[in-house]
Amino acid sequence: MHLHYTPEQDAFRAEVRAWMEAHVPKEPLITLECREGYDQHVVWERTLASGNWGMVTWPEEFGGRGLDLIQWLIFEEEYFRAGGPNRANQNGIFLLGPTIMEFGTEEQKKRFLPPMARGEVIWAQAWSEPGAGSDMAAISSKAVRDGDHYIISGQKTWSSRAAFADWGFGMFRTDPDSKRHKGLTFILFDLNTPGISRRPIRQLHGETGFAELFFDEVRVPVENCLAGEGEGWNVAMATAGFERGLMLRSPGRFQATAKRLVELYLKHEVEASPATREAVVQAWGAAQAYAYNTYAVAAKIMGGGKIGAEASLNKIFWSELDRSMHRTAMQLLGAHAELKRFDNGNVNQWLEGYIFSLSGPIYAGSNEVQRNITAERLLGLPRIGAG
Amino acid sequence: MDFRFTEDQLTLTESVRDYLAGTHGPEVLRRLDAGDKRDPAIWQGLVDMGLTALLVPEDQGGLGLGLVDAALIATECGRACLAEPLVEVAYVTWPWLLSRGELGDAEAFALGERTMPQAHVINPYWSDGVGLGETPSVDPLRLLYDNPLGISDDPHLLNLGALMSAAQLIGLADAMLTQATEYAKIRTQFGQPIGAFQAIKHQLASCAVAIEFARPVVWRAAAAMQDGIESAPVHVSHAKVVATDAAMLTAETAIQVHGAMGYTYEVDLHFWMKRSWALAGAWGSRAFHLKRVDAAVLGGTLEIGPQATFA
Repeated sequence: MHLHYTPEQDAFRAEVRAWMEAHVPKEPLITLECREGYDQHVVWERTLASGNWGMVTWPEEFGGRGLDLIQWLIFEEEYFRAGGPNRANQNGIFLLGPTIMEFGTEEQKKRFLPPMARGEVIWAQAWSEPGAGSDMAAISSKAVRDGDHYIISGQKTWSSRAAFADWGFGMFRTDPDSKRHKGLTFILFDLNTPGISRRPIRQLHGETGFAELFFDEVRVPVENCLAGEGEGWNVAMATAGFERGLMLRSPGRFQATAKRLVELYLKHEVEASPATREAVVQAWGAAQAYAYNTYAVAAKIMGGGKIGAEASLNKIFWSELDRSMHRTAMQLLGAHAELKRFDNGNVNQWLEGYIFSLSGPIYAGSNEVQRNITAERLLGLPRIGAG
Repeated sequence: MDFRFTEDQLTLTESVRDYLAGTHGPEVLRRLDAGDKRDPAIWQGLVDMGLTALLVPEDQGGLGLGLVDAALIATECGRACLAEPLVEVAYVTWPWLLSRGELGDAEAFALGERTMPQAHVINPYWSDGVGLGETPSVDPLRLLYDNPLGISDDPHLLNLGALMSAAQLIGLADAMLTQATEYAKIRTQFGQPIGAFQAIKHQLASCAVAIEFARPVVWRAAAAMQDGIESAPVHVSHAKVVATDAAMLTAETAIQVHGAMGYTYEVDLHFWMKRSWALAGAWGSRAFHLKRVDAAVLGGTLEIGPQATFA
């Protein structure tokens, strides 16, 4: 338990801070859930890549800096300290990237990772189907082998970034006689392949970010399959582990929100109730707790450990923290809470953040499913439903 | 930067856990409850394990370990619902004396001859103190006395007491979650174990979340105290608040999961629950510690934000 940064880590922090202060856009970008905002965010991905900050933990040959997870956390802290925009390519760099690193062939790593790090190819996820949401093993979209191609038919939905992204990844049933977790294969596909159509879905806030994807006999080369045919479930569980357990939501994001919440509270201190005051203090405490836990997870992984079912605890914690911080902010804003823009013209980011925070307990596996996983795999309570 | 315990720390913790699990089960608590509350044989066992000598410097006949090690052991004492005053004497009183350079009793502490904790003004009652006025606690194994003698108002002593209470609360919470989980596996209703119902699962999962995210706050506070960083008192208070919340949530959930059995003296749970109530209030209540965190975070005396994780 050594909780001090080395001089090298301090120097790295200073380097990130200087670069971020010079490059993070002074004006917040438009939400990436619309064409114009998406394009702005893609430009930002490429700006990041120009400083070689696309994904600092990857080896240099794949477009990274070969840094460790502590340096990644420092990078993320400084990123959020500077108010860096949401990452257009989060599905790629935080979810698919680590998955390719673990399961991909050398050829796949060389092919997919560098353009991902450079922000040239933006990735969408394609997990859910109309009949397979929380119950992901109910996937029915098919991939039928035809020589050196798969022919994909079916439908995916709630595919984040899919309205505008370049490539997607998801699981498809390659064995028509298989049931549940077996017979699924993890496949990467170019979203512009003939036969794929996208229907953007208008979200709660009125913008379109995710989409439905329709596959009508789409031909995808067999070499786009990750790990072996029928190995999809194991691959997806690893991806979900990265998503829930470490990468998708680094603590800096929540510490930055907590700090903004403290500042908001201090502006409204006179009229705010003691209960609201406590909620603000608790927000700081919970964001810190999440950060400590993440440092502990990072140390564990650096020591050769793996993320297991405890990733579910993580996902429950950060998603409910985010919602509660934004709820508190909305209370502090009072009559201003409903405004889309404040009188000074600034976008009401608390409102946007509150709306987005409502999706947190749903995406990446609903919190009900995470509580089931916690109870069954961590506590050992009896399993229910179909295995 | 390495938020991990050493192999030595994990080995020591495991050996203490195994020892207490083997020698200090619920039947021991029931025997103490029916008898004299304290048992010199139990105390001697702790002494023989080296636990009273943990923080005594090596040149004074001790093991020379630090507050992080002590907090780990305190967690195990909570898990076992240990009644003997090991934590208050060896991990609160002794390191306080050590910090003041008062080494005269080092050998007495190391050998376990000293069994009386130092009193502090934050606690109106003196646990395992001396005196005529014994006052009953809801915790049948806690010995409280009126009018403590030689009382101190040193904030460092308060911080040590709060830190070690938080560590015990983590162990207590863990133990109560285990008890409730084990009960939910064996108690059947409607033809299945009640633990198969999501209404039970989700409550227990929420306890697991609360404990999981209270734990690292306690370790961070222990490291801050061990390293003597300036903001350590804030982190101790943070630890006391979240450990209290985790233990209270788990206690209330555990009694609910046990149903009517949980409301009896017959189920072991009540020992752990009552210790949790006692330690939640001792060494500064939740309200006291929340106020200290509030003063630092809203008062601007602590740097906050993404870059300030270890400020």
